[in-house]
Amino acid sequence: MAGNRDSIANTIRVSFLVCLVCAVVVSTASVGLREAQHENQMQYRQINILRAAGLYEPGMDLREAFERIERRFVEFGTGRYVDMPTDYDPMRAARDPARSRAVTPDPAGIRRQPHVGEVYLAWSEAGELERIILPVHGYGLWSTMYGFLALEPDANTVAGIGFFEHGETPGLGGEIDNPRWQAVWEGKRLLDDDGAVAIRVIKGAVPDGATNREHLIDGLSGATITTEGVNRLVRFWVGDQGYGPYLERLRDPYRGNDTT
Amino acid sequence: MAAAKATEVLFQPIFNNNPIALQILGICSALAITTTLQTTITMCLAVIFVLTCSNFFVSLIRTHIPTNVRIIVQMTIITSLVILVDQVLQAYAYEISRQLSVFVGLIITNCIILGRAEAFAMNNSPGMAAADGFGNALGYSVVLLFVGASRELLGSGTLAGAEILHPVAEGGWYAPNGLMLLPPAAFFLIGAFIWLLRAWKPDQVEEPQFRIAPNSRSVEAF
Amino acid sequence: MGLRKFIDERIAPHFHEGGKLQRYYVFYEMFDTMLYSPASTTRAGPHVRDGIDLKRVMITVWFAALPALLVGMYNVGYQANLQITAFGYDPIPGWRTDLVALYTGFDHTSAVANVLHGAVYYVPIFVVTYLAGFLWEGLFAWKRGHEVNEGFFVTGILFTLILPPTIPLWQVFLGISFGVVVGKEVFGGTGKNFLNPALVGRAFLFFAYPAEMTGDTVWTAVDGFSGATPLAMAAAGELDYTAGLTGVAGTSAGVDLTWMHTAFGGIQGSIGETSAVVIALGAAILLITKIASWRIMLGMFLGMFVPAVLFNLVGSDTNPMFAMPWYWHLTLGGFAFGLVYMATDPVSAAMTNTGKWIFGVLIGVLVVLIRVINPAFPEGVMLAILFGNLCAPLIDHFVVQANIRRRMRRKEV
Repeated sequence: MAGNRDSIANTIRVSFLVCLVCAVVVSTASVGLREAQHENQMQYRQINILRAAGLYEPGMDLREAFERIERRFVEFGTGRYVDMPTDYDPMRAARDPARSRAVTPDPAGIRRQPHVGEVYLAWSEAGELERIILPVHGYGLWSTMYGFLALEPDANTVAGIGFFEHGETPGLGGEIDNPRWQAVWEGKRLLDDDGAVAIRVIKGAVPDGATNREHLIDGLSGATITTEGVNRLVRFWVGDQGYGPYLERLRDPYRGNDTT
Repeated sequence: MAAAKATEVLFQPIFNNNPIALQILGICSALAITTTLQTTITMCLAVIFVLTCSNFFVSLIRTHIPTNVRIIVQMTIITSLVILVDQVLQAYAYEISRQLSVFVGLIITNCIILGRAEAFAMNNSPGMAAADGFGNALGYSVVLLFVGASRELLGSGTLAGAEILHPVAEGGWYAPNGLMLLPPAAFFLIGAFIWLLRAWKPDQVEEPQFRIAPNSRSVEAF
Repeated sequence: MGLRKFIDERIAPHFHEGGKLQRYYVFYEMFDTMLYSPASTTRAGPHVRDGIDLKRVMITVWFAALPALLVGMYNVGYQANLQITAFGYDPIPGWRTDLVALYTGFDHTSAVANVLHGAVYYVPIFVVTYLAGFLWEGLFAWKRGHEVNEGFFVTGILFTLILPPTIPLWQVFLGISFGVVVGKEVFGGTGKNFLNPALVGRAFLFFAYPAEMTGDTVWTAVDGFSGATPLAMAAAGELDYTAGLTGVAGTSAGVDLTWMHTAFGGIQGSIGETSAVVIALGAAILLITKIASWRIMLGMFLGMFVPAVLFNLVGSDTNPMFAMPWYWHLTLGGFAFGLVYMATDPVSAAMTNTGKWIFGVLIGVLVVLIRVINPAFPEGVMLAILFGNLCAPLIDHFVVQANIRRRMRRKEV
């Protein structure tokens, strides 16, 4: 046995057999588990959407909860709904020059933005719009922060915010995950009376006597850059370059449900 | 080697010949995934599985493996096992798999695994090789669990997600130690583990390369 | 000489050979030699040509740090009293405030009130630091069977001076314990540490409790106060450098800030770091006694000066730190303190003369780079010096190798 072990024929034979067995094992696992993995990814995203909207409870039936959440696609420039295939992925589209544009100016540090983005609309059992949930992302101190911003049906009042992926400093910038801080966002208003984007995360605590408290959010102590990153990404995504035109249409009562 | 007993092969690597504490192998993953106990335990299980199986399979075909491509054959087996683990985690433990991110894949580069395959599995029977792999993975796990438990307890005040020390931010008394959540903390803790281990088993202390002149001793002052 | 006699007759015998407490000799020796010079002298042939020894070096550094300590303590009280009397903040409730209210009240124009208010914050930090230090030093000296040496004497005072005044005392304990054990004792104790233990302790706290160590609220000891330090203001673009040396460059928490303030003190900051002039006094002591290396000091200054001027010339629309002139770099934050007391630590700095130049320049450049380029840390002195410490043996190695090569060449020619 040891004699012909190092022969070329044996080398090729053993290599081939090992590769064959390994390839079969790996591909079987990959194909067999794909269903479950895909399901997991969907669920993970759904949980985060529900969390941002303040609708998530641990152990709830996701499938049932998500039946009342509608996924729509929105063209950024016009704010109109458009039809897209269900497997459309805005993140992937952002990498495709034909389906995206370079962002200038780029306050949120996202470089490229797809022409078409997605929104999630949460409907109540009675069929009324409950929440508008916008996927948002932008650059913080060390990393791009991915999250969701949930709005009340008036498309002006914040219902919640949540981040599901970021690499900010634990204990400082990482506190964007802190439910206490996220709770500060609830009830804040995006626009001032003139319709300009007025929501702002400031450095430090909001002063007691501030007249525009309904637009201001306390910054995280010791995390100036992360906080500024959150500020910029929120202002970007609700502004003209982001979902601004779309939200404008929602606010307009005559065209609110116009799907063209 | 042939005379080595299975129990010895199994239990020696835990404290007497620990792959991390004595051989200082495989510490890369120990830095990255030990911020919480949950990810640590998952990582330990993954390494136990991969190391036991890789040792077993490598040993099984050891007489057929041509010497000139043996490392590639070993790597192929290890890689397949790691991909298997990664796929299973993604299917059945998605949240943890996200937290472990690339570090499941990086088990492939863990020196302990290739080291055991090359040093032990190539020369021993499949049963012994599996025992050796399991034992070394246990030794790895002991250190990782120590590091993971310390980091989560001191860094977040919890153990496996359950609150042990009530943190200040929630109105409690414990101020979480942010350093513990940063990778260097794992270095300090592994250092501390080695310190404790060698205080307990002084025969593991390395021979110093040179002696520093002693400080003035109290006897001279009389 | 009553005390000497008492110690010799009543206490010392217990600790000497055959005494009941012989194992604890190191602790006795530690306090005895703190009170009196040791009587034991070198018994071999005479070789000493200088009266300097470790203890004298350490005591000189200690005295050089004393002005910074006193002024720093006064400033802690002054800042707190100023905010209380002039801006209506409340003192932090607790025994400290009760004590100050009982004896002097909170008048920022009264020197006594300022010193007392500073002392109630500083003295506990000082006491905790030294207790922790003696505990660890004693423990290691005892286990290793050598005497406690004086290194900690200096480490301790420097550590207290680079802390914010409102730091909780348990953090002081943790920080100095980490600094002494991991920064020094695990490597063999005084003289064998390659990092500055005081800075290791500070770095530990910096990364472990970032909210308490770097936030806006830590620098002044009054309740609910939040005011940026001058460096944080500079990073936010709130300083106006055209104001000159005496003009008002910015306003934080109602207090006007000029460059003269940063030079003479009277700003918020870590306890001993705020007054560059007092630190210069310490520098003079260290330079005259030749304990600190002028090469390191000058090197670090030049290392800061050149890139600071370069950044001024390059300019930047988005990063206000580019515009900071070198004299602001010098007086703000911990630069002056680090330059004089930290970088010059003879154990952890480079040993060769050329190496000292390189070491100093490296730290100076790094300080400016971290302050200006890095968005996360407004201050970089601590990290720069620790990095310099890490590089010091390498620098020395190359300097020595270069010397050897040069001499080899000379021999060949």
